[in-house]
Amino acid sequence: MESKFVRVGIRPVPAPRLRRARWYEGKPIASMFILGAILLGCLLCGLFLPKDPAYMDLFNVCVPPSGEFWFGTDTMGRDIFSMIWHGGRVSLCIGFLATLISTVIAVTFGALSGMAPRWLDDLLMRAAEIWLSIPGLLLAALIQAILGRASVVSISVVIGVTGWASIAKVVRAEVRRLRGSEYVVAARCMGAGFFRVLWKHLAPNFFSSIMFMVVMNVRGAIVSESTLSFMGLGLPLEIVSWGSMLSLSEKALSSGAWWIILIPGAFLVATLLCVTSIGNYLRTGGSREESNL
Amino acid sequence: MIRRNPWLYYGRKALAFLLSVLVLSAAAFYIARLAPGDPLVSYYGDRVERMRPDERARAEEKLGLNAPIHVQYVRWLRGALQGDFGISYKYKTDVLEVIGGRVGNTLILGGVGFVLIFGLSLGLGLFCAWNEGRWADRIVCRLGTVTSCIPEFWLSLVLILIFAVNLRWLPSGGAYSVGGTGGVGDRALHLILPMTVTVLGHLWYYAYMIRNKLLEEARAEYVLLAKAKGLSRRRVLFKHCLRNVMPAYLSIMAISVPHILGGTYIVETVFSYPGIGTLSYESARYQDYNLLMVLCILSGVVVILFNMIAQIINERIDPRMRDAEIVETTEVTGVGE
Amino acid sequence: MDEILLDVRGLTHRFRLNRRAVVRAVDGVSFQIRRGEVFGLVGESGSGKSTVARCVMNVYRPTSGQILYKGVNVCDPRQFRANRAMLQTTRQIIFQDSTSSLNQRMSVADIIAEPMAIHHIRPKRGTLRDEARFQLKYVGMDASYLDKYPSELSGGMRQRVAIARALSMEPELLVADEPIASLDVSIQAQIINLFRHLQEEHGFTFLFIAHDLSVVRYLCDRVGVMVAGKLVEVAPTAELFDNPLHPYTKALLSAIPIPDPRRERARTPYAFDPARFERDGELVEAAPGHLVLRKGGGAE
Repeated sequence: MESKFVRVGIRPVPAPRLRRARWYEGKPIASMFILGAILLGCLLCGLFLPKDPAYMDLFNVCVPPSGEFWFGTDTMGRDIFSMIWHGGRVSLCIGFLATLISTVIAVTFGALSGMAPRWLDDLLMRAAEIWLSIPGLLLAALIQAILGRASVVSISVVIGVTGWASIAKVVRAEVRRLRGSEYVVAARCMGAGFFRVLWKHLAPNFFSSIMFMVVMNVRGAIVSESTLSFMGLGLPLEIVSWGSMLSLSEKALSSGAWWIILIPGAFLVATLLCVTSIGNYLRTGGSREESNL
Repeated sequence: MIRRNPWLYYGRKALAFLLSVLVLSAAAFYIARLAPGDPLVSYYGDRVERMRPDERARAEEKLGLNAPIHVQYVRWLRGALQGDFGISYKYKTDVLEVIGGRVGNTLILGGVGFVLIFGLSLGLGLFCAWNEGRWADRIVCRLGTVTSCIPEFWLSLVLILIFAVNLRWLPSGGAYSVGGTGGVGDRALHLILPMTVTVLGHLWYYAYMIRNKLLEEARAEYVLLAKAKGLSRRRVLFKHCLRNVMPAYLSIMAISVPHILGGTYIVETVFSYPGIGTLSYESARYQDYNLLMVLCILSGVVVILFNMIAQIINERIDPRMRDAEIVETTEVTGVGE
Repeated sequence: MDEILLDVRGLTHRFRLNRRAVVRAVDGVSFQIRRGEVFGLVGESGSGKSTVARCVMNVYRPTSGQILYKGVNVCDPRQFRANRAMLQTTRQIIFQDSTSSLNQRMSVADIIAEPMAIHHIRPKRGTLRDEARFQLKYVGMDASYLDKYPSELSGGMRQRVAIARALSMEPELLVADEPIASLDVSIQAQIINLFRHLQEEHGFTFLFIAHDLSVVRYLCDRVGVMVAGKLVEVAPTAELFDNPLHPYTKALLSAIPIPDPRRERARTPYAFDPARFERDGELVEAAPGHLVLRKGGGAE
C-alpha cells in the first residue's frame, strides 16, 4: 500500500506559560485567622486568665460589662469573660470529638454499603433511613438516659451517634458512583488491589464531598451541644460550656441582662461562621470555570 | 425501554413502607422501655417516691408494665391495629386526642414555614444567580451565611429580648392570647416571631443550594448556545436553567418536609408554642410510653413517606437516578438544628 | 515472528438486562494475533468490539470460550491467578474516553507512574518521576506537564498521557479501544504514526479497535470485521480491501465515500440485507489467510 501524503511525525506540544497565583488568593484567611484566635484563646486560657470561671461571686450577680468584669457576670455571679474561654474549650472539644465519631461511623458504613451487593446495600440504607427518621432530640434523650450522668465524652458520643447517617448516605452514593469509573477499571486492569483502588482512586474523589459535610458536621455538633444543654439534657451546670451558659440565659430575659444572652451567642455565631466559610471554601475549592450566562 | 408493571412497582414500595414502619415501631418500643427512668413518674407525679412496694406493683399492673417486653409489644400492636393507641400517662386521656389537639398548631407553623422557606429560597436563589459575582450577590451570600450560623434557640431568645421585652410589639409566647378569641389576627401575631425563626433558620441552606444548582446549570454548554442564538439573559435563566433545576428541587422539597416539620420543637419550646414538638420532647424525657410510640411512628411515617415520594419523583424524571440516591439534600444537622 | 500471542477461541459474552432480556454482545468470536502484528477489529457501533477488548483484558468474565495469551487461559481463574503478574504487566489497555479513564485527582506524573508503582518495578531511568518524564517525551509532550491535572489538558494531550501510561510498562500486547475516535484529524494522524513507530521500532503487538476504515487500512496488518457480535471476516488488510467476500464487508467498504463528487455519483453502493445475514455459519478459509463466515461452507 502506497500513501501519497508525507508522514507527519510526532509534533511536540509547546510548554505553556503559567501565572503564579498568590498563596492567599481565594482562601478564607479572615475566617481561619479568627478561628485560630478563638482556638488559641481557648487552649491557653488557663495561662493568662486570673479569674476562676466557676467561682460564684454572689455579691456581683448580674453585673453589666465593666472594668472589673469585662463581659459582666451571669445570674450566679460568675465572670462571663473567663467563662467564655473555658467554656469554649469544652464546646469546641465536644464539637470535634462528636464529628470524629460520626465521621468514622459514617465512612465505614457508607463504604461498606457502597461496595456491597445490591441487597445488602438496600438493607443498610434502610437501616440508616430508619435511624435518621427517629427525631434527633428523642434519640439523644434516650441515649443520654442510658449513659447516665452527662460528661464531655458522653455528650460527644450522643451527638456523634445521632449525626452520622447523612454523611454515610453521601459516602455510599459517591462510592457507588465511582465504582464504575473507567479509571477504576483501568487500575484494576493494571493490577491494583482493592485497598489501593480504595485509597488512591475512590477516597480522593469523594474526600472533598465529604470534607464539606464533615466541616458542617462540626458546626452542627457545636450547635447540638448548646441546644442539648438548653433543653436540659446537656452538661451539668458545673461544667462550663457555651451551651450551658446559654441555657441559663433564658432566665436573664426578664431581667434585661442582655450581655448574658448576647455575648456567648455572639462567640458561638462567630465560631460557626468561621467554620462555615472554611467549609464552603473546601466545597468550591476546585472549580475554576466561568459562567456562560 | 423496559416497561415496569406499575402495580408491582407501587405495591413493592408500599410493602417496604409498611415493613419499615413496623421495624421502627418495634425499635422505638424496645429502646423506650430499655431506657432507665420511671414511667410511673409521668402518671403519678411525685407521689411515686412515697409509694409502698405493693402499691407500686398494683400501679404497674394497672398500666400493664409488669409483663415482659415482647408481650407488651404484642399487646400494643394488637391495640394499635384496631386504632387504640393507649392513654398518655401524663395527660390521662387518649393519646390520639392529645396529639390531635396540638397537631394543628405544628402544622400551621411548619406548613406555612415550609411554603415561605421554599418560596423565598427560590426567589433568593434566582436573584443570586442573576447577579452572580456582583456586590448584590456577595452581600446576600454573606448575610445568608451569617443567618445560617445563628442557632435557632439563640435567635429566638434575641428576638424575644428585642421585640417582646424591650419594644413590646409582639407577644413572647403561646399560640394565641390567653383568654383571647383565638381568631386569625391574634394567631397571626403570635406566629410572627416563631415563623421568623423557623424560616431564617432554614432559608439560606436551600437558597444556597438552588443558587449553586442554577450556577452549575449556567455553566452548561447549551446556555452558551442559547446566548449565541440571541436569547435574552432572563429567558435563558428562567425558561431553561430553572426548568432543568426544578425536578431536583422538587425532590429536595419532598425530603425536607419531615425535616422542617420535625425541627419545630426548639422554636416551640422557647416560645411555649403548644405543638407536637414540645409534646415529643416531654414524652421522651418523662417516659410517657404510649405518647412516645405514636409520635415516633408519626415522625417515622412522615420521613419514610416523603423519602419515598422523593425517590419516586426522581425515578420518574431521570431514569439514571434509579440506582442512585439523593445525595446533596440531606441537611447535615446535629440534634439541635 | 510467527508466535501466536493472543488466541481467542469461541468467545461469547452475554449481558443480562433483566429477568427476561439478554443481550448477546459477543457470539462465538475466534481470531489469532501474532507477535508484532497490528490486528484491527472494525464494525459499527454496538457490534461488540469493545466487549471483545474488555474480555481480553479480563474486565469482564466471558460467558464461555477461551482466551489464550502466551498459552495461559486468562478465562480460567486459577491460571489467571497463577500468572497474574505476567498478565497484568505485559498487557495494557488504552480506553476511548480519556476524560474518564484518567483519575482527575492524580497528576500526570502519578498517572503515568502508577502501573510501575503498583507492581513495584524499578524504573529504568532512576526515579518514577524521571520515568514519567521520559514517557511523556516519547509521546511528544513537554516535561512541564508532569504536575498538571487531566482537567487542565486538552483531549489530544490526555489521550497521549493514557498512551504513555500504557507504554510505561513496555507491554507486549496493547489493546487500543478506539483510542482516536474523539480526537481531531491532525492529532489522529500523529497518534497513528506513534503507533506505527512503536510497532516498527519496538515490536509491539496491537489489538486495534476502530470504526474508521481508512485508519485501519493505514495501520493494520490484518483486519477482522464484526457485526452484531459475530466475526464475519478476517483477512490481511490488502486482501480485505481488494477482495471482500462477505456481503457485510462488501457493503461496508463500498460505503466509504470517495471525495470526488463525479465518481461518487457514478457508482452505486452495495446494499447489505440483514435478513440474509447468516447467524449460524462458521469461519471458513476461502483464500490463504482469509476467513469468512459461511453456512456449512457453501456459496453465499
